[in-house]
Amino acid sequence: MKSLRRFFTRLFNTAAKRAREERLREEIEEHIALQTDENLRAGLSPVEARRQAMLKFGGVEAMKEDYRAERGLLLIENLMGDLRNAMRSISRMPGLAAVIIVSLAIGIGVNTTIFSWIQMMLFEPMPAVSGAANFLMVEPRTETGGYPGASWQEYRDLRTQVPALRDIVASQMVPFNVGERGQTERTHGQLVSGNYFSALGLKPAMGRFFRPEEAERSGTEPVLVISYDYWQTRFGGAPEAVGQKVRVNDRELIVIGVAPRDFQGTMVPLKFELWAPATMAPALLGGTRDLEDRSIRAFSLIGMLKAGATSEEAQAEFSRAMATMARDYPEASAGIGGEILAFWNSPRGPQRMLISGLAVLQGVMLLLLLAVCGNTANLMLARGSVRRREMAVRVALGAGRWRIASLVLSENMLLALLGTGLAAVIAVWGTTALRVAPMIGAFPILFPTKVDEFTLAFAMLLGAACGLIFSAAPAVHLARLDPQEGLRSSSNTAPRSRARKVLMGVEVGLAMVVLIAAGLFLESFRSARQTDPRFRAEGVLLAAYDLSGRNPDEASEREFAARLLERLRSLPDVEAAAIATNVPVDLHGIPSRSFTVQGHVRTEAGKDRAICNTVTPGYFQVMGIPLVEGNDFAEMRDKAAPAQAIVNVEFVRRYLNGAEAIGRRLQTRGGSFSIIGVARNSVYDAFGEPAQAAVYLSYRDLPVFQGEIHLRTRSGNETALTSEARAVLRDLDPMLPLYDVRTFSQHIERNLYLRRIPARMFAVLGPLLLGLAAIGIYAVVSYAVARRTREIGVRLAFGATGRRVVLQIIRENLGVITWGAAIGWVVAFVISVRVIAKGATNLSVFLGVPAILLGVATLACWIPARKASRIDPMTTLRHE
Amino acid sequence: MKQKTDVLQGTLALMVLKTLDVLGPLHGYGIARRIEQISGDLLAVNQGTLYPVLLKLEQEGAVASEWGASENNRRARFYRLTREGRKQLQAETKDWEQTAAIIARFFEAKAEDLS
Repeated sequence: MKSLRRFFTRLFNTAAKRAREERLREEIEEHIALQTDENLRAGLSPVEARRQAMLKFGGVEAMKEDYRAERGLLLIENLMGDLRNAMRSISRMPGLAAVIIVSLAIGIGVNTTIFSWIQMMLFEPMPAVSGAANFLMVEPRTETGGYPGASWQEYRDLRTQVPALRDIVASQMVPFNVGERGQTERTHGQLVSGNYFSALGLKPAMGRFFRPEEAERSGTEPVLVISYDYWQTRFGGAPEAVGQKVRVNDRELIVIGVAPRDFQGTMVPLKFELWAPATMAPALLGGTRDLEDRSIRAFSLIGMLKAGATSEEAQAEFSRAMATMARDYPEASAGIGGEILAFWNSPRGPQRMLISGLAVLQGVMLLLLLAVCGNTANLMLARGSVRRREMAVRVALGAGRWRIASLVLSENMLLALLGTGLAAVIAVWGTTALRVAPMIGAFPILFPTKVDEFTLAFAMLLGAACGLIFSAAPAVHLARLDPQEGLRSSSNTAPRSRARKVLMGVEVGLAMVVLIAAGLFLESFRSARQTDPRFRAEGVLLAAYDLSGRNPDEASEREFAARLLERLRSLPDVEAAAIATNVPVDLHGIPSRSFTVQGHVRTEAGKDRAICNTVTPGYFQVMGIPLVEGNDFAEMRDKAAPAQAIVNVEFVRRYLNGAEAIGRRLQTRGGSFSIIGVARNSVYDAFGEPAQAAVYLSYRDLPVFQGEIHLRTRSGNETALTSEARAVLRDLDPMLPLYDVRTFSQHIERNLYLRRIPARMFAVLGPLLLGLAAIGIYAVVSYAVARRTREIGVRLAFGATGRRVVLQIIRENLGVITWGAAIGWVVAFVISVRVIAKGATNLSVFLGVPAILLGVATLACWIPARKASRIDPMTTLRHE
Repeated sequence: MKQKTDVLQGTLALMVLKTLDVLGPLHGYGIARRIEQISGDLLAVNQGTLYPVLLKLEQEGAVASEWGASENNRRARFYRLTREGRKQLQAETKDWEQTAAIIARFFEAKAEDLS
């Protein structure tokens, strides 16, 4: 208690320092006056009386020091002093401080933004669900490593057979057509098990969630839970929304509750708006047999470990359960095992792909931050050298080594702190800017990233680390200073510092690595934009339809597509129309299939694969892909022709060695097809990709319940076709919305979006880094030159030309720079070959970046060197 | 060095408290004089060292101070014992007596007492 009280009083005293100082002075004065009086009474002369009194009192300054030590908190006081000092010295170098703060802020800000993404995916993968990272994916797994999903019956078995997991939750993603006939709107939702909301630990924002009995048997209460956003936008957030009827897939459902704000379902970053019990599946999906048929694997399962259980136990139980099922239901479950996966490692979401990409990005950005630190250290070191004299005076006056070090440290930490503050602003801006990605494919996407205390702690940590890194060199440098040395020698002859040069080299090396990375990235992005896709994207309108709500069979799917095409082709503005299952340059890529083809011996099982797109006749005409040989597919209603396939030129080259393809048989798991044509190669997955083998199959042979309508316009204005296409579909089926309508150009732009983010990042950061490196080099060289004015003056006086002096200075510094650059170049090259692999070793980048970097470096050396060569030798020498 | 002042401060603090206990409110000079008189000038400390001790005691709450007028009508800071200070004095007096007794006994002890 006593010590606590003392602490607070001291704290207070530290604040009220001046008043106390005054009080002490008065007390001492009084004391000495009293003693002097006493001495006078004892008969001393006034002067002697006062002298004796002072002697008796003792050393005033030493006592004051004691008194102060007693009074306040030395540490805090020193710290405040240091901070004040730091503030003063920073305000004396506004330009330098601004460069340091801004570069730090960008470095830390970018890192924090990336970290917030990684953190979101690893630790908070489901917004509004606490502890969501602990959920595990419960995934049936085929022998070939595919994850087909789980059937409803399987789910019911697994709930009891994997006791290590509590409350396994099942969900199925379904597109819903919401609204009255003729004006339906496509909305995404999930069909979920009855325990969905309770297992996730959610509380409704309004109303209630499913009761167990509502999700027990099929065909029970038609209930619906809506998302918070849906509630806000469609019902204006009115409490009356609960109890209202909504028509979903031509069924009336009653809204019973609203999910909590921010909750977007269990397949982040997909954003769902509606949830209905899984038992509603037959009613909503046109009498599907989802609930009984074990071979319909439509559900995705997640579960959390029971307290005390390990994921190994869960894995063992799961494998055992799947083995039992494979034995009991061989026709549906034979050869299907199971795997427990971490939530972020889900085979369905983009998490897995994004995390590895983000990890690389984070690595590069941390390197960048390191380069910023190196730069700052260099600047501070150069400045520190200028301050040698100041520091020497401090040491001579009795400041300890630690005191000097802490002085430098506090100055740098203050800079780091200011940088971190600005970085937080950048991070907040960055995460919100990246938060809302547009719809990808037809799915609404929302990345629930945010800057929270965890992210901010990361930023603080980075800031502190940076502060320490770039203070270390100057602090050590100055603390080792010998005051005599520092005072005697003038600033012009300070000893050389190797540290500065090494740092300069390291910085240039780092800049090289990051700039090459940036260059490669931009180059691939740019070339991607300019490559000829080998199909004609202009003038094509894309739109999607989906019959899954109708639970159609093959015949009705084929008939629907045929009728749709007939109607579309009859439109006056439509030059050609076709339907395909996949659109090229899609973010998801086009699936590939393994096959065997007549006349080609399979080298290895499953190794022969080709891109596979199922299309209707007329597709090649719409896409502007000429058929090199053979004919287009037979008409949709043609029942006579055998199953057909068209392959591309690359297919013929790779698998048939260029031999005649037409007439050969092609066997895939979907059936046996006869090759009737060869199409020219075109781009399938990404611009600039190496030629890929492709197989086109016909909708006639393999009808699908959904399709991408491709319309080529006659007038050149493809968007004008939108309303006509909508009307056609509405005519055919009033409950079916046309969705994801976009021009082909928009489609391409949209799918380049995700690539554009890092491209933009690099486009900003590359020049920034180059600028930083230039400033760093400039600082080092100009300092080195300033240090040697006398030497230069002497040499000029002895007849050296300015040119020679400049050349020599540049040569000296360029040596270190070249070393750094060379090492950086090698590192970048190794990384690009090892990590990025094929086709990434772009010669223009690997030659261009060093050229630019060395050019800028030379310029940064040249400017201060030229200044030095203009010295008037007489002035310098006199100055000494 | 430090340790020595600590010991000194400890005893000095006790002396200050006792002085204030006996004489009532007093200014710094008065306390210093008093201690000098009682110790018979044996304690030749610099009077200045008194002030850090006074400050420490004040921060601990053992003494309180306020401005007043000294004998020669000058402004002087008067220190007085607080209730807490009195308690502290009692406790420390007891401690000190105990310590003194133990030390005394040690000095009185002869070789045969210890065997």
